[in-house]
Parts: sequence; structure tokens; C-alpha cells
Amino acid sequence: MNAMQKNTITQSQKLMIFVLTMSLYGLATLFTELIPKFQVGLVEFSIEYFLFIPLTLGMLFDPLSAALGAATGELVFSEIMLGQFGGLGELEKFLTVTIGVYIAGRLVKDPKNRVMVGIAAITGTAAQLLMGTIVDIAKVQFAVEDFEAVAGLPESVFATEGFAFLNDLLFSGIFFCLLPTLYLVPKLYGKIEPLLGMAPRTAQSAVAGLNPKSVVLCLIGFLCAVTAEMAATAGMSLIDWEAEWAESGTAMAMGMVAAAAVAVIAILVIKKNAERKVA
Amino acid sequence: MEKLMNQLSENILDKFSMDYLRNQVLKNAYGNDDTVIAGLDPRILIAWYLFFGLVPWFVNDLSFLLGSFLLVMITTLLARVAGLVLFLFGLGVFSQTGYLFLVTLLFGGDASAVAPLLILTLKVATISLASVTVFSGLDPDKLSNGLMWYGCPERLSFSISYAYRMLPMLMEEFQNVLLSYRLRGNPPAHDTFSGKVRYLIYQVKIIMESFYPLMLNTAKRSRTTVEALELRGYRYAAVNKTVKKIRLSALKVTYNDLLFLAISVLWVALCLLCSTLF
Repeated sequence: MNAMQKNTITQSQKLMIFVLTMSLYGLATLFTELIPKFQVGLVEFSIEYFLFIPLTLGMLFDPLSAALGAATGELVFSEIMLGQFGGLGELEKFLTVTIGVYIAGRLVKDPKNRVMVGIAAITGTAAQLLMGTIVDIAKVQFAVEDFEAVAGLPESVFATEGFAFLNDLLFSGIFFCLLPTLYLVPKLYGKIEPLLGMAPRTAQSAVAGLNPKSVVLCLIGFLCAVTAEMAATAGMSLIDWEAEWAESGTAMAMGMVAAAAVAVIAILVIKKNAERKVA
Repeated sequence: MEKLMNQLSENILDKFSMDYLRNQVLKNAYGNDDTVIAGLDPRILIAWYLFFGLVPWFVNDLSFLLGSFLLVMITTLLARVAGLVLFLFGLGVFSQTGYLFLVTLLFGGDASAVAPLLILTLKVATISLASVTVFSGLDPDKLSNGLMWYGCPERLSFSISYAYRMLPMLMEEFQNVLLSYRLRGNPPAHDTFSGKVRYLIYQVKIIMESFYPLMLNTAKRSRTTVEALELRGYRYAAVNKTVKKIRLSALKVTYNDLLFLAISVLWVALCLLCSTLF
């Protein structure tokens, strides 16, 4: 009975993990937004990924709560607080970070096994980066009109994105994800869990191991991220159709302008009247 | 090369002054409550943002894009956004498209690549400025109430309110930990080039290591937070409809909101008219 209780996580402990990951990763991503990147030749040295924070916490605690917390933290602290919320693109980032951290967290069975921790850390990072790269290429392809027609543009997109992926994985991935995770996981293991009122994770814990169900879940999540970008293509054809309609519709546009102008004037008049009544 | 490295490390250390960052972020969050944009209803603004955040992606018409860009630029000025945010915006736009342009030239593209890239830049700029207006112009409590009204998960509104309140404290704590590491540490000499590289690595290593005590402290704090929330019945309140109704009863659409919407519609209609005429 006692052992059973230790292995399951209560709802409020999940919330604790969520809050913990959110505030830490949010703080870190805020710094990365503010620190300027610098380039030496073609290699870009950016302290882009403090991904080691959610990776570490995802390996020590419940992976799903940690993953969701990290993605939310990034969204709230660095995008919404700094006013850099980018609409569709954020959905893609949210999902890829969640999936990357979740995969890494599920891969680790026993946090004391250093080899497994290392493999999981680099796998999670690579998964996140790869998904980001695929979506980025798709985004530029759909946003630019006559993508193939512009000389040199297709090759340059593939080259820059592919290069950025390798660069991020080999530089940020190793220095900012793999090494700190290898340093922090064994050091925090057994120390941080009691602070949240939990037993340390062991090989027997309920959350360990990557099963087919979670792989399918990750795939669905990635498909959602791609669909968000595919919506752009669908939207393109929709607008083309609308543009044809608009060509013959100068009168229609005139009507819209007139209607909007009437609305502005009407609201102004109503507002004046309402103010007079109050006064 | 040495001069370059010197400049770089100096630049990074300058920017990393915690007080500067904290001030800018706080100014952005709470510093502009009295602007026209901040006085608007969050629901109206979010709906407005949905239009200017999505539609420009799908439209390739130059006069429409230019018109929308002008409109969101005016609203950004009205919202009096902090300087750092605008600087980041400029950097973001350039790094997204300017970099691509340089590489296109490298691969044998010529000036013909400018036109599609200009359209792409306009799209990106319009969308980011619209988001800057809404998310920097509104204060966090209003924003989270507005999102909640649209049925966003309670977790998100909670995270926004929590983030704005906790961030100054977290930053201060991180600064303290970092300073204590610096006090006890012995940085390598940085006169030569290799010394400078070692110095940079040392600085980065300290930042990484200071997350160890920070994680433990934050774990303790998040347990306290969650326990306090549980005592007040947070998880029950999060799904209760009556609680939501009480929280959202402060929201009110006024004539100002309608006027803002009507002017935006008028402007967009004018842009459409221009694009059909030319």
C-alpha cells in the first residue's frame, strides 16, 4: 500500500512540477531572448537552448507535466511578456518543445543510469530541433510567392535550415543540453524530490519507459504542428479565389468603405450623446 | 579579431545587467496602464489581433500589406511599448528575412529576390507588431481575463498572472546566486585571446551551475505556491462556472472599443479599395 502511494503522483504534485518547470524555463528563455547572438564566420554562437532545465526536470519527475510546463513557460515569459507572440509559429514551438522534453523524459528509466540520461538528452534535443527545421522550411515555402521561380532561394533555404540544425545540435545541443543535464541529473537526484513531497524515481516507477502509446501521441502532436503550417497552403487557395471575386468588386469595396465610415460616425455621435447624458 | 572578441564579451556582460533587464520587463508589464490601447476591452483587442495576426500570412497584395503595416505601427505607438521590446522586434525581423536575403545572394540570386522577400518582411513585421500592441499594451490581468473569456485553459491565464508576479523575484534570486558564485570563484585571467575564450566558458559555466541552487529553491517555492492555491480551492474554482462568471463580470465593452473596431474596419476597407483600383 505504502509503496503504491509512493509511485503514483497526485494532481497537486503535477501542478507543482508544472509551476516549477514553467518558472525556471521561462526565466531562462527570457535571458536567451535578451542576450544578443553573435557569429564567427558562418557558425552562430547563440545560447539558444536552456533546454537542459526541462530535460533535467522531465527525467526526475513526471515527463508530461514538465514538458507542458516548459512549453507554457516559454510562451508566457518570453513571448507574451515581451510582446513577441507570433501566432501560428508559437503553436509549432509549443508542440515541438513539449514532444522533445516528453520523449527525453520517457526514455529514462532510471535517472542514476548516466549513459541513458545522456542518450535521452541528446535524443530529445535532436527531436525538437528536427521538427523545428521541417516546419521552418515548410513555412518559407508557403509564405513566399513563386517560391521555385526566385533564383537561388530554394537552395538557400534548405542550406541555411540544414546548417542551422547541425549547428544547433552540435553546439547548443552538446554544450547547453547534454553536458548540463549530465551534471545536474545525478546531483539533483534524491535531493529535489523530497522538496515536492515525492519519492525519487526508480526503474520500477509508473512513469518510466517509452511505450507505443506515447510514441503515437508524439506523432499526433507533430502532425498537429505540421497541420498548423499546412493551413497556410489551404488559406492561399482560399484567398486566390477571393481575390478573383474582388477584382470585379471595386463597387463592393466602395460599399465596405461607406459602411465602415457610417459606423464610425454613428458610434462617435452615440458616444457624444451618452457623454452629454452623463454630464 | 582580438578587438572583436573584446567587444563581444563586453557587449554580453553589459546586456546581462540584471537590474536593466528587470526594469525593462517591469516597465513593459506595468508601466503603461494609461494608454489608449490599455483602456480597451481585452476581448475586442484579442479579436482584433486574430485578424491582424492571421490574415496577412495569406494575402500577397502589396497595398493591403502596406496598409495593415501602417495601422499596426500606429497602434504600437499608441501603446507606448518599452524600447527593448521594439529593439528585439527589429532584430527579429532582420534575422528572419535579412539573413535569408544575404544567403540568397550567395547562392547566385540577384535583385529579383528582393520583391518576394519584401512581402515576406512586411508580413512578418505586421504580425509581430500586432502582437506587440496587444500583448505589451494590455496589462497582464486584463489579458488573462480576456483569454479566459475566449475559453483558453485556466492553466494559461494562471501562468500569465503568476509569471508577471513571480518574475521580479526570480530574477533577483538568480542574480544573488550568480553573484555568490562570482564572489567565491576565481575567474581565469583574460588578457590573451585563449584567456578570453576560457573566461567566456567560465562565465557560461557559472550560469549553468547557478541553476542547481535555483532549482532547489524554486522547487520549495512552487510547493508553497501550490499548497496555498489548494487551500483556497484553486483546482475546484478553475472548473467552476460561477467562479468564472464572477471573475469576468468586470469586462465591459464601451463605445471606445466599438470606435476602435470601426476605424480599423474602415482602414482595411480603404486598403482593399486601393488594391482593387490599382
